[in-house]
Amino acid sequence: MSFAFENIPSVKSERWKYSNLQRALKDLSLTPARLGWDGNVSLLSPHAPGAMEYGDTQLWDLNASQTKDIKFITSNDIIDVSAKDGQSLSPRLIIDVKAGENITIIENHNGDGVYWKNAVVQINIEENAIFNHYRTIEESEKGVNTLFTHVKIAKGASYNAFTMVLGDGFVRNQIHAEIMGEGAHCGLAGVNLLASTQHADTTITIEHQAPHGTSNQTYKSVLTDKAHGVFQGKVHVHKVAQKTDGYQLSNALILSPQAEMDTKPELEIYADDVKCSHGATTGKLDDDPLFYMRARGIPEPVARALLIEAFCAQALECIADDVFAQTMREEIAKWLTSRA
Amino acid sequence: MLNIKNLKASIDGKEILNGLNLDIGAGQVHAIMGPNGAGKSTLSYVLAGREEYEVTGGDITLDGQSIMDMSPEERAAAGLFLAFQYPVEIPGVQMTTFMKTAVNSVRKARGLKELDAIDFLKLMKGKCKELGISDDMMKRAVNVGFSGGEKKRNEVLQMAMLDPKFCVLDETDSGLDIDALKIVADGVNAMRGGDKSFLVITHYQRLLDYIKPDVVHVMSKGRIIKTGGPELALELEAKGYADIVGAAA
Repeated sequence: MSFAFENIPSVKSERWKYSNLQRALKDLSLTPARLGWDGNVSLLSPHAPGAMEYGDTQLWDLNASQTKDIKFITSNDIIDVSAKDGQSLSPRLIIDVKAGENITIIENHNGDGVYWKNAVVQINIEENAIFNHYRTIEESEKGVNTLFTHVKIAKGASYNAFTMVLGDGFVRNQIHAEIMGEGAHCGLAGVNLLASTQHADTTITIEHQAPHGTSNQTYKSVLTDKAHGVFQGKVHVHKVAQKTDGYQLSNALILSPQAEMDTKPELEIYADDVKCSHGATTGKLDDDPLFYMRARGIPEPVARALLIEAFCAQALECIADDVFAQTMREEIAKWLTSRA
Repeated sequence: MLNIKNLKASIDGKEILNGLNLDIGAGQVHAIMGPNGAGKSTLSYVLAGREEYEVTGGDITLDGQSIMDMSPEERAAAGLFLAFQYPVEIPGVQMTTFMKTAVNSVRKARGLKELDAIDFLKLMKGKCKELGISDDMMKRAVNVGFSGGEKKRNEVLQMAMLDPKFCVLDETDSGLDIDALKIVADGVNAMRGGDKSFLVITHYQRLLDYIKPDVVHVMSKGRIIKTGGPELALELEAKGYADIVGAAA
């Protein structure tokens, strides 16, 4: 491999405690490869965000040193980040949303065989712009996807992200959002449908650095078989960020005794006039609604599916685009059918 | 129609039903009255097939066929309906989706053609109108934010939609004011007259002013201790349970 193992975060690091990337990569035989994007290196932000606070920048740095795939986007687009067997990819997406614009980008992450994609997505949203950012992540059994997103949100602008994790493999979905200007909004939502020995980690840091900002996290995870889910969400309200309104929700539904969910909500608040709260639950499907539905003649697998769809519904409500929302509903139904 | 023989059931190792016998003919309305802790709600759950209850003896037959080995959904398809004392809230599941899935599951199991969206809506709107239920309720999540009266009306609506043979009403009167009680009773009475049978479980005689039973049973300590006509309910109301339960013991 073309990288040194000491550059890979280990479980000794606080932010990687539940996700053993070194183990996931250990026996993979990979060759550096390209997606065939441009290579305009001048657009790169070489420095990772949060370097000072969290020291969790190894993968950003690795991407910056390796990348030859750089794509610059300023309007509606659909991007495929697909790996082939044996590939080590380091793609960099750079998204600029100009003041007052309203754009939607869909990213499809997937691949075949054994691979590692260490992707960085750097986003800048100018004043009063709206960016809807939708992702599906569907990796292969031996696929590894470490995805580092950094977004800066200017005054009055809005970032609305939704991620659906399906498939298999090892996924680290790391988002670092900075509220830079007054009244900016950061909405992050996602549904994780995890099966087999799949590992999916969602790690979020939201930095409120201006007054009257709002942030919202709504994540729903459904785990079966021996799947392992991780949710780490941190809201950091700086002293200047008065009147911040931040909410974080992570609900996990465990369908198998061997599945595991680790949740770590964090609020760090230095301003004195803010509204911040979080809710985190992990549990199994309730017996009462299940019995109620069966008593109405609904067969157990169908009742379970309806309840799981309902469990995910709140995260889907965060999707502004009706067509994409409908596609996600169908993906959930498909996943449920394949495991019934 | 429905026959219960020497039914014994327990939960968490504690015996609740203790050799219960009941025979309800087609088209009949029976009432079971009894003090708290008599095992009334256990009986309704055991009839509907709730798995937490362990049936340790006896048999239940519906039209001569034992339902003991049937799942709750199979019992519903066979024509058994339980109106819950506490209808369950299901956030995120819309009433229309819930009802359509239930109606079509039951139709499929009964060998009938499943209803398409239009036929389903016709059926639902018709039943809502009959029962004085606004369509608005059908757009909401199942029982979420429903008032006590709305929840019970919703149970009666589901009963009407699923076209059962045998209905158990578990303390349907609890938490209802007189107006809501009348609406529920009217709904049940509208379904009477044919072959459908009803078992009305209640603590108070009040409901029986509106749903007139053919037979009244008194239940205590997991069995039926006295059976009579509608006058038995009035006697209970006048004297209280202590006399009758005490006399039988």
